Amino acid sequence: MVDENVKACINLHAVLRNMEDLCELDKEAHDIIQGKNVAIRFSVKNIPAAIMTFNSGKCIMEKTESRNCHMNLLFKSPEHFNLMIEGKRNPIPTKGFRRIGFLKRDFARLADRLSYYLKPTHELLRNKDSARINTILTAYTAFFAIPEIANNDPLGKLNASRIADGTINIEIDQGPAIHITARSGRLEAAKGKASNARAFMVFDSIDTASGILNGTLDSYSCIGTGQLAIRGLVPMIDNLNKILAQVAGYLR
Amino acid sequence: MKTYTYPQSQELFKRAGKVIPSGIYGHLGPSQGCYIPTQAFPFFLERAQGAYMWDVDGNRFIDYMCAYGPNVLGYNDPDVDQAVREQMQIGNCTTLPTAKMIELAELLVDTVDSADWAFFAKNGGDVTSFALMIARAATDRPKAILFKGGYHGVAPWAQKLGYPGITEADTENNIYVRWNHFEDLEQAVQQYPGQIACVMATPYHHPIFEDNQLPEYGFWQKVRKLCTDHGIVLAIDDVRCGFRLDTRGSDHYYGFKADLICFCKAIANGWNVSALCGIDGLKEVASSVMYTGSYWLSAVPFAAAIATITKLKQIDGPQTMLEKGKKLTDGLREVGSKYGFDLKISGESSLWFMRITNDDNLVLHQEWVAECVRRGVFFTNHHNQFINCAMTDADISFTLEVAEEAFKVVKERHPEIGG
Repeated sequence: MVDENVKACINLHAVLRNMEDLCELDKEAHDIIQGKNVAIRFSVKNIPAAIMTFNSGKCIMEKTESRNCHMNLLFKSPEHFNLMIEGKRNPIPTKGFRRIGFLKRDFARLADRLSYYLKPTHELLRNKDSARINTILTAYTAFFAIPEIANNDPLGKLNASRIADGTINIEIDQGPAIHITARSGRLEAAKGKASNARAFMVFDSIDTASGILNGTLDSYSCIGTGQLAIRGLVPMIDNLNKILAQVAGYLR
Repeated sequence: MKTYTYPQSQELFKRAGKVIPSGIYGHLGPSQGCYIPTQAFPFFLERAQGAYMWDVDGNRFIDYMCAYGPNVLGYNDPDVDQAVREQMQIGNCTTLPTAKMIELAELLVDTVDSADWAFFAKNGGDVTSFALMIARAATDRPKAILFKGGYHGVAPWAQKLGYPGITEADTENNIYVRWNHFEDLEQAVQQYPGQIACVMATPYHHPIFEDNQLPEYGFWQKVRKLCTDHGIVLAIDDVRCGFRLDTRGSDHYYGFKADLICFCKAIANGWNVSALCGIDGLKEVASSVMYTGSYWLSAVPFAAAIATITKLKQIDGPQTMLEKGKKLTDGLREVGSKYGFDLKISGESSLWFMRITNDDNLVLHQEWVAECVRRGVFFTNHHNQFINCAMTDADISFTLEVAEEAFKVVKERHPEIGG
C-alpha cells in the first residue's frame, strides 16, 4: 500500500535528488545551470526538508533542516508535493520572489529533462548515451529510495530491522557506485564505494543494471549467469532486495 | 590440482532461465544456494553414486550436501534400490494404499522412541504444518512459539512478514524467542496465557549463516516440563537432523520426549516421503484434521523408507556418520590453522556447520569454499553440510587434501592473514 508520506520522501530525496547527476550527465541541463547561483529549499510538511543548490555550474542536493536558502517552496502536505512531482499542483513560494524566474523558466526545463530520462521513450532507450543516463538515474532513484522506505514504511522498517549493522556496496562494473549503511535498523545511502563494506552487489554492466531495475531481467537468473554478483553477508543483500522490491510500487 | 569449469552447466542454465522461474528455484539454485561466485559451482548433475556426483561437464565431486540431507546411505544404495524395484513391480500410486504403509508405520513406531503412530506426506514442510494444525486442534489455541532463525519449511506461517507473498495474518500467531533462553519461553507463556498451542523447534539450533548451537544442559528438560505444565504440544522438527543423530529420534538423543516429531530428508535415502510421528494422546486429533495429498500414500517411497531405516539400524548409521564427521571436521580445522585460518565448526558432526572467522563479512569463507568446489569437494557456503554412510576414510583424506590446497590459494590471495 502506498503511503503518501513515504512517497513524498522518495520523490524528494530519491527522484528530485537526481538533479545533481542530471546536471553532470546531460549537456542541456549542464548548460542551463551555468552562471546560476540559487539555493532552493523544499519544505514539505511531515517529511525531512532538502536544499537544492545551483552554484559554480553544479547542483548539490542536501537533506537538511537548515533554512539558509534563497528561495523556499512550501508544500502543505506530502500529497501536495507528490502532485507537484506529477505536474498537477504548484508549490507555494514563501521566500525568494526575485528568483521566481529561475523557478518558472530554468528549473521547469531541468524538471522536463529529468522526466525525459526517468520516463524514457523507446527512442531514448535506443540511443546508447541516453540509455546510459537513464540507467544511472534510474539506479540512483531506486537505491536512494531504499532508505526512505526502510526508515518510513512499516514493511520496509521490518525488513530493515533484519539487516545487520554495516555497509553494503552496490556498483555497476566500470560505472557508478553507491553504498547503503545500516545502523540499528535505519538505513542511509551515499554515492561511491565504502572501503569497509560487509556485503557486495556488482552488476556486470549498465545493461544488466538497467534490465533488472526496469524489470526486463530477473535478478535471480542474473545471479546464476554471473551478470549480478553478490558476496559477503548475503542476508544483508537479501533483506535490502525486499525493500528494493517495494520501490516500484511507490514510483508507479 | 586441476580446477573445474562448467560450460555445459552455464548453457543449461540459460536454457532453463527461459522456461523456469530463476532457472533453478529454491535451495538447489545458485541464488538461494549461495553459490559465490557462481562461476565456481556446477548447476546441473549428470549422475550420482555413493558419496559422489558428476556434473554435466564431467566433473566429479564428493558431495557434502547430500541433496541437502536425503542422501544418507549413499546415492543409489543397492538395498534401497532393490526394495524400490520390487515395489515398482507391484504398484505405487494406487486407488487403495498397500500394506507397505502399515509396515513403515510399524517400523517407525518400533524405532522412534516417542512414536505411537505415524502419518505420511511428501516434504518436511507438509508435516511441520500438520504438526501445527494438530496442536491447534488439540488445544483449541492459536499461537505457536518458534525460535528466531529456525526453519520449518516454506508454508506462509513458516516465513516472515515482509517477504513476498506473506501477509500479516499468516504470521500473527507466531511468537519468536531466542534459542537456549528458557526465560524467553517462560515469559511468552506468561504473556499469552491459554493461547499457546505449540512449541516448535529443531532438536538443536541450526539456522543458516550462523554458528549452530546445541541445547544447553537441561534446556530441553525444562522446555518439556513447561509444555506439560501448560498443556502445550511440544513438536520437534527433526527434518534435517532426523536419522543422523539417532534412529530413535533426536529428542531421544537429547534426553527428552516430544509429543510430535517430524521426519523427512534422511528417512528414505532420497525417495519422496515425510512422516509425522506422535504420542497416543494426539492420535485421535490427528485423525480429525483434514490433511492429504495425491501422492502421500504411494508405496514405492514407503518401501525405500523401510529399507533405509532398516539398514541405518543394522549398521548404526547415525553413530558412523557422527564419527566420520568428527574425523573430517577435526582435519579441516587443523589444515585451516596451518595457514592461519580459524575455521569454526559448530553443531553436530554428522551435519556440521562451518565458518572462517578471520573476517567479519564471510568473504574469506566464500573464497575458500569456492576453491574447494573447483577442486571437486562440494560444500555450500552458509548451510549445514552433511555426512553419509558411504563416505570412506579415503574420501576424507581426499577432502582434506583439497581443503588444504584451497586454504593455500586463499592465503596467497590474502597475505594479511597471519600464521
